[in-house]
Order: sequence, then structure tokens, then C-alpha cells
Amino acid sequence: MRRAGVLLAAAATLALASLAAPAAPPDLSGVWFITHSVGALMTLDGHAPPLTPEAKAVVAAHRAAAAKGDFSFDGVTRCLPPGLPRLLLMREPFEILQKPKVIYFVHQLNRLPRRVYLDEALPTDVDPHYLGYSVGRWDGDSLVVDSSGFDDSTLLDNAGLPHSDALHLTERYQLSQDGRHLHLTVTIEDPKTFTQPWSAQADYLKRPGYELTEEVCAATPEARRPRS
Amino acid sequence: MRNLIRTSLAIAGLVLTAAVSGAPAPKTLHDSGDPTLALTPGLRGADKAPPGSPPGNPDPHDLNGVWWMSGYQYLLGPEPGVAPPLKPKYMAILERRIRAKNRGTPEADASTQCFPHGMPRVMESPYPIEIVQTPERITFLHEVAHNIRRIWLNRDHPRKVAHTFLGDSVGHWEGDTLVVDTIGLNDRTFIDDEGSSHSTQEHVVERYRKIDDGSTLELIMTVEDPVTLEHPYSYRRVFRWRPDVRPQEYVCEENNRNAPVNGVTVAK
Repeated sequence: MRRAGVLLAAAATLALASLAAPAAPPDLSGVWFITHSVGALMTLDGHAPPLTPEAKAVVAAHRAAAAKGDFSFDGVTRCLPPGLPRLLLMREPFEILQKPKVIYFVHQLNRLPRRVYLDEALPTDVDPHYLGYSVGRWDGDSLVVDSSGFDDSTLLDNAGLPHSDALHLTERYQLSQDGRHLHLTVTIEDPKTFTQPWSAQADYLKRPGYELTEEVCAATPEARRPRS
Repeated sequence: MRNLIRTSLAIAGLVLTAAVSGAPAPKTLHDSGDPTLALTPGLRGADKAPPGSPPGNPDPHDLNGVWWMSGYQYLLGPEPGVAPPLKPKYMAILERRIRAKNRGTPEADASTQCFPHGMPRVMESPYPIEIVQTPERITFLHEVAHNIRRIWLNRDHPRKVAHTFLGDSVGHWEGDTLVVDTIGLNDRTFIDDEGSSHSTQEHVVERYRKIDDGSTLELIMTVEDPVTLEHPYSYRRVFRWRPDVRPQEYVCEENNRNAPVNGVTVAK
């Protein structure tokens, strides 16, 4: 009884301590490479995304064009930012700079920066951006990022998956115990493109000591510009 | 869109300044009075943060935040309106470029091709610069053309340095001054907007120091180039602390209306 009381007191003290000083969030800083680059994005259970009939036709048109070597539907060939989550599905690494109020994702691909503002609400009326507008919060050990305000000309994956200006992404990043692996689950909501919200995943490996290189798309011949 | 607004404001400001001041004859290279060598007048640049903004952080070793240049110049010599101490061959090239600009057919430069701006030009920006400080690095995220500079505090330059648009930068603190040393620059960029040349042997040293209780960042820039310059030279700039500004997405590659054709920048 007495022991239980001590344990309870200890538990209460721990709980109070954690209330008073929340545990520091995990440190996601570093350079990350995707472990398996993703071509066509699939749902968590391995199915094709739940496209509306209209969106299905767009995917088919993109794939038919690509089969003929015509990638004009893809702004990346003209050095435009690839959009999200595609930017996270390419072979190019990115680095995370973690600060208390902002988390910066800086991509090697054409040196694209993305800012995630922590503990703010998504603005309701923003000009569309290629990389949208992102806010984040720590949910236990996970970083949860909410994004909207996307330009509808970008693609969701490396295989021509389209979206509309109604796109809303929720990314959840979890760091492994050893700090070397990062797991992403991304939930895609876009009622103009999909019949229901769906989720996909990707994994990243940290490469300590790697320095991102200066990739300049406009100085790179079109045939050598990364598309996936 | 925001960038279009910023650019329009900058241009409107320029026109307004000329109108208000009774349109004095533009300054020319060498003060020659030759209108074909007219220099583009500088811009006033950013003001201090508006009233009510959070005060600057007085910690001299914490450079985090958004900084915006005051007093933008198109020609980056030791004084406003004075050319860098170029060797005669490169002074003649600068004159050629200024004349081409004044004819309305400017020679293609890095910025009109959506390349990074090079050094020291990238630091002379009418757009905000966000500094992100992490234990081994200081990172400059420029709004303009998503230029990024990484200043390594934990290593020296590599023995065999690759030549890139923004070079290899290492830094260290000397008291309250951050000293940044940059080499490894390719020669596809100019020193400044007007077209002063540098070579791959260019060496740039920047000294940053907070002043005014952290509301201003002072930069002393020193440029050295044994190929194009007679001797090293320096100039001073200040950046305003702007916690009210969030850098915006800047996509040079979208409908680049200044994309050069046959080596000439086209203004559409």
C-alpha cells in the first residue's frame, strides 16, 4: 500500500513535470534521402488512388503523352517547382533545419525551400503557391504538417497524378528510435480529384555529413533535369 | 504575385524619386557625363520595421531572422556610383555592358537566366534574406530566385573546391563579428548588376555585425580578384531587422519575361 502510494506520487510528479516542461521534440535536423523513390503513388494498402472519373482521364492523358516522350504536362521539365508531396518522393535529398517556431525543408532539387510555421492556423485565403502554405505542430513524437493553397498546375507524384486547388495535405513525420530513419505518412484530401481522402507513405534515411549540392535547373540541359 | 507587387513598388519608387528630385542628370561611369554610360540609380531599399514590430534581438551572436537591405546599388564599387577597381580590359567590358543596357539591349546575365546571382551580387538584394542559424551552420535563404548560401562554421574550404555560382563559404566569429570567407566561384556571374567582371579566382570576405541593439545588421564586403581587379576593395551596407516580413515563394522560371535571346536580355 505504502509502496503503491510512493509509486502513485512518483507518477504524479512525473506527470506534473511533463506538464510543466513538455519533452523536447525529436530533432529531425539533417540530410534525408528517400529509401525507395516513388513513381506512381499508391494507397497504404497498395491500391491505386480513388480518382474521380474526370481525374482518371487526366492521368490517362498524362501517361499517354509520357509514353510518347511528351512531358509538356510536367512543369518540372521547365524548372517549375514540382509541388507536394511529389517533391518528397524524388531521389533528390532534402535537409531539415529545425528551429522552435519554423521547420525548414530545403531541397537539393533546384534549391527549393519550404517553411513550416509551427503552432499557427492555416490561413483561409492565400494566393496559390507551387509549394502551398504549411503550418505544423508536434503531436507527441510526430511532426504533423498541414498544407493548402496549392497551385493546381503541379503533380502529386512522379507519374502524372493531378490535383486541384482544393488540395489539402496532412504529413506526419516520425523519427525512428535510433534517429536514422524518418517515416512519412501523407494524407491527401481533394474532393475535386478523389472520391475520398487517402494516405500514402515514404521512408527516408539520414546521411550525416552530406552537403546538398548547388543544383541549378535553368543551367541544366532539359534532358538531364531530374523528373523523379 | 507578391513579388510582382514588390518589384512594381521598387520600380514605382525609382520613378517617383526621379520625379521628385527634378530628374537630375543620371550619374555616369567615371563621372564622364557621357549619357551612353549612365548608371542605373540606386534604390532606397528597406526601411526599419513598422512601429509595433518585435524589437531586434540584441544578442550579437544570434543572427536568426529576416533582414532586408537598405540602400541598394546597381554598381558595387567602393562608393555608390563608383566602379570596382577593374583592370583596363575589364573596365572596357563594363563600359560595353553599360552601353548595351542603355541601348535597351542588355547582355544576358545570370539573373535573367534564373541562375544564382554570384558574389557579392547576391547579397545586394532588394528582396528579404532570412538567416537560419544552426549549431554548425549559418544558412542564408534569399527570397530572390530562391538563392541559398550555406556558411560552414565547422570546416575549412575543401582542398579541391568545385566552382559554383555562389561558391564555398566558411565562417567564424571574431568577437561579435561573423567573418565569412568565400572562394570556389564560377565566372558565369558578374560582381554587380551593371556587369563588373570577376574570375574563378575571386575571393570575397564578409564581416557581419549587429548594431543599433540588434535592429540593424552591418556588412563590410571585401572583394579580391587578381584577374579582373587592380586591388581588393570594400564597401559597407546595412540590413534592417524585419520580423514583420515572411519571405515568399519566388519562381524566376515561371514566364521568365527577361529570358535572353541570342545573348541579349529581352525586356517584354
